[in-house]
Amino acid sequence: MSEQSSQAISPTILTTNCPGSYRLKRRVSQSVLYLLLILGALVMIIPFAWMISTSLKTVQYVLTTPPQLIPNPATLDSYLRLFELYPIGRMLFNSLLVAGLTTLGQLVTCSMAAYAFARLKFRGHNLVFLFYLATLMVPFQVTITPLFILMRIFGWINTYQGLILPGVFSAFGTFMLRQAFLTIPLEYEESAYMDGASPLTIFLRIILPLSKPALATLTVFAFMGSWNAFLWPLFIVREQTMMTLPVGLATLQGRWLTEWNLVMAGTVITVLPMLSLYLFAQKYIVQGFVMSGLKG
Amino acid sequence: MSTKSIFARVFALFLSLSLLLAACAPVVTPTPITEVIEKTVEVVVTSTPESVEPVEITYYTFSAAPDHLNDLDQMIQLFEAKYPNIKVKVETAPFDNYFTKLQTLIAGGVAPDVFELNYENFVTYAEKGLLLDLSPLLKTDSSIDSTIYYPRALEAFSYNGMQLGLPATFSTVMLFYNKDLFDAAGVAFPTADWTWADAVAAAKLLTDPTEGVWGLHSGVQFWEFYKKAAQNNCKFFNEDKTSVLINSPECVQALTTMVDFVKRDKVMPSAAEMGGVSDGDLFLSGKLAMDVTGIWMFAAFKDAPFKWDITVEPSMATKATHFFANAASIFAASKHPQEAYQWVQFFTSDPEMAKIRVDSGWELPALSNPAFFTDYLSQTPPSNRQAVFDSLQFAVVPPVIARQTEMQDGVGKLLDQVMLGQLTSQEALDQAKTLIERLLK
Amino acid sequence: MVVHHSKYQKYLWAGFFLLPSLVGLLVFMIVPMVSSLALTFYEWDPLIPTRFYFQGLQNYLTLVKDTNFWAALLHTLFYIAGYIPLVLTAGLGVALLMNQKLVGRAFFRGAFFMPVISAWVAVALMWTWIFNPKFGIVNYLLSLIGITGPSWLYDPNWAMPAIILTSVWKDIGFIMVLFLTGLQSIPQEYYEAASIDGAGNWPRFRYITLPLLSPTAFFALIISLINSFQVFDQVWVMTQGGPAGSTSVLVEQIVNNAFRYGRMGYAATMSWVLFLIVFLVTIFQMRMQKNWVTYE
Repeated sequence: MSEQSSQAISPTILTTNCPGSYRLKRRVSQSVLYLLLILGALVMIIPFAWMISTSLKTVQYVLTTPPQLIPNPATLDSYLRLFELYPIGRMLFNSLLVAGLTTLGQLVTCSMAAYAFARLKFRGHNLVFLFYLATLMVPFQVTITPLFILMRIFGWINTYQGLILPGVFSAFGTFMLRQAFLTIPLEYEESAYMDGASPLTIFLRIILPLSKPALATLTVFAFMGSWNAFLWPLFIVREQTMMTLPVGLATLQGRWLTEWNLVMAGTVITVLPMLSLYLFAQKYIVQGFVMSGLKG
Repeated sequence: MSTKSIFARVFALFLSLSLLLAACAPVVTPTPITEVIEKTVEVVVTSTPESVEPVEITYYTFSAAPDHLNDLDQMIQLFEAKYPNIKVKVETAPFDNYFTKLQTLIAGGVAPDVFELNYENFVTYAEKGLLLDLSPLLKTDSSIDSTIYYPRALEAFSYNGMQLGLPATFSTVMLFYNKDLFDAAGVAFPTADWTWADAVAAAKLLTDPTEGVWGLHSGVQFWEFYKKAAQNNCKFFNEDKTSVLINSPECVQALTTMVDFVKRDKVMPSAAEMGGVSDGDLFLSGKLAMDVTGIWMFAAFKDAPFKWDITVEPSMATKATHFFANAASIFAASKHPQEAYQWVQFFTSDPEMAKIRVDSGWELPALSNPAFFTDYLSQTPPSNRQAVFDSLQFAVVPPVIARQTEMQDGVGKLLDQVMLGQLTSQEALDQAKTLIERLLK
Repeated sequence: MVVHHSKYQKYLWAGFFLLPSLVGLLVFMIVPMVSSLALTFYEWDPLIPTRFYFQGLQNYLTLVKDTNFWAALLHTLFYIAGYIPLVLTAGLGVALLMNQKLVGRAFFRGAFFMPVISAWVAVALMWTWIFNPKFGIVNYLLSLIGITGPSWLYDPNWAMPAIILTSVWKDIGFIMVLFLTGLQSIPQEYYEAASIDGAGNWPRFRYITLPLLSPTAFFALIISLINSFQVFDQVWVMTQGGPAGSTSVLVEQIVNNAFRYGRMGYAATMSWVLFLIVFLVTIFQMRMQKNWVTYE
């Protein structure tokens, strides 16, 4: 079984032997469900349709009352103008590099730490885990200034390591993977332990492969957090060649005036890579729990 | 291990770590601010610099990006041609985050050499001793005279007898009006002698609820309020800030007049009625006959599909108008004060720089020679650009205290409450008085 | 049972797995956090970074008397009370639906996740329009059923509900992905065994899905709580704490004090009181987890 079939509600299995009225009821409830889903999806994406439409509008039509959904006239001027005003290619590259390395760093460090918490239950592991959680509870707006001073001491201002490293060590990722590892039934590892496998082997050969959905999810979240980060990159970057997309595009919001069609075009450019990553990662999140011959 | 003991241990750990740090942190008896400022810089400014090695200085700005980076680059090229040993590196941030970042840079000890400041923040930075006194540099500079600057602007950036910034640009707030709407309603155009009563009378004829057109807009917020108060001969506090006068009858009347535009006269939309659209956008879409806003909107209104012009803002008991200016200041502890001064001097007074500014519509240089402005005056729209300079005679500066931002936020919130009907004008200003007295302590 | 060769080896392995994450966390998070805790005993203006005025506990005493702080706390709690139940139940519901074999499932999953990947700045403008008292969709729909909608973001009583709804919209996808990941790791065999035993839909949900999903639910709850106590971006962008301070929240007060009033010590004090509240709530949740969360 490579894909999960329905779990809580399985209309096909249960209706084959049931009276006609029950089948009709099922059909109706299914259609209602679909309707709700479509409505929900619409609510989710109409603001984005509006975002794309604004990015294609000319300045005068951006803030008409009432707002128009279809741009008329439609133009790619905003996008062209953006490329004129900003080194978009460079900013894209910076964003990709920073987000990519941050994600990699999180995957490695968080999975290792999560394994220590989930399986290598050393004495005081609860205390240390609480410590991890505690780092999520202090607003970063107040730790950002001391962190900046620390970066200054290291000499990492306006460097890639200064941009990337503070985002790599995440209690969120550790927490999420810990929960995922805890749900893996112990039987899978027991035979390996009996055979004298080391924790490292078990980690690499059993735990990680069985956690693909969680790892894929963390990839998406870690990438997203880094990709959209604004305040820290704003502080630490001091020249245009090092800017990431959110920082570079922020100056579109002028002191007195904002050209919303440009802002929306910038947002579309920023959102597209993230969306692609998410759709790509879906394949792994959906893959499900592969069980291959461990049951003897 | 029980939850209680986990909690106790973690808390104890944190507490001990922090007490350790607290014990080690330098407890410095605060050096009086005067000491820091008195550090004079002995610099001889000559026209041919002696040092050979190129010095790099950073210039941090909020007004250049994104539309005027090219103009700034042009200016820098001209400057570097004149002073080959100085390189200017530009750093930008959006206005909303500009001061947050500047504060962090200063805290981290990596402050830029030169940075742009608007008036309110200037005062904060000045009284904390963060800005270099430029008067000795100006005195020994043979190439310019301080009279080249518009006196009001120069004054704005002097503090305790020290010149802590040179004015780079200035702007004013005017009454913009939509000529087509006035013609359609058969109302005479506003003149510089109008009072607010005249304006409201005209606005009533111009407001058309069926078409969604409003007569006027003048924001109910801190900056508009101190100006309207001044128009009614009222000040927030006296000269030496020993008594707070914000709740005096004249101020209350000024506030009531402002609020009445919306509530009694019904010629101005409330925030809810505007629904997130700015007054500028409303004006641009032809739904607002008169708008009190700044000359920075000329560029935005340039292609408006209707004829418009400006005039000096109406008066209450007297005339009072806004005067805003941005300065270029040098960080007090900058490692290259001489080179920084060369840049500041060039950037604020050089004729070629002024030409680039005016030609590209990048704000007005704060210079006193009218020759700089002939080009500006001949640009249209609007045609009555002379009014910009006329309004300067009535300019008032904002009331400023040490805890400025808190006062602005607090008074702003009280004004909101009046607009929402939660407080009367008198109640709000009584509370404002208590607030300001607390902040002045 | 986890078998190890010796206690010494166990600690060695735990150290190996934990070290990268722990060291990073210590340097980039703990050190700034502890600095900020130390700051609560001082008055420190970042613009005059070498000057520290020792305050002792004065900052804490000022905090107790600060009406702005208490109002912000109240508003934050109101936000949490509205946001958490809505986002968790809606997110779980959508995840359950997304786990079915539905036509266009990939599209729906993408649609629901779209709000999550965009930054608040762009999203906020769209929602300002949606909640526009005159031309917004919400009031338009309400008028169709005969209700005159309130002024939403301009009405002190309705601004926070509007922010809550916007936040729920933005985060449903996030919760959905979390639960989907959790659902995917429930072994199919359990359901198969249950079908064979003749169990219906509800028993399968109640006795298989819910218990095996509880670690994920616990994670979702804790993370959502920790995040919602620190709600900030949407308030800052949509209402700036207005109208008349009715949406002022804790982190907004902290940011004002830290970055606009030059009172970093006081901001740090607020942050650590916030930390204490969140910490206590989390400890309480961790205690409660024994009652409803099942691990292997």
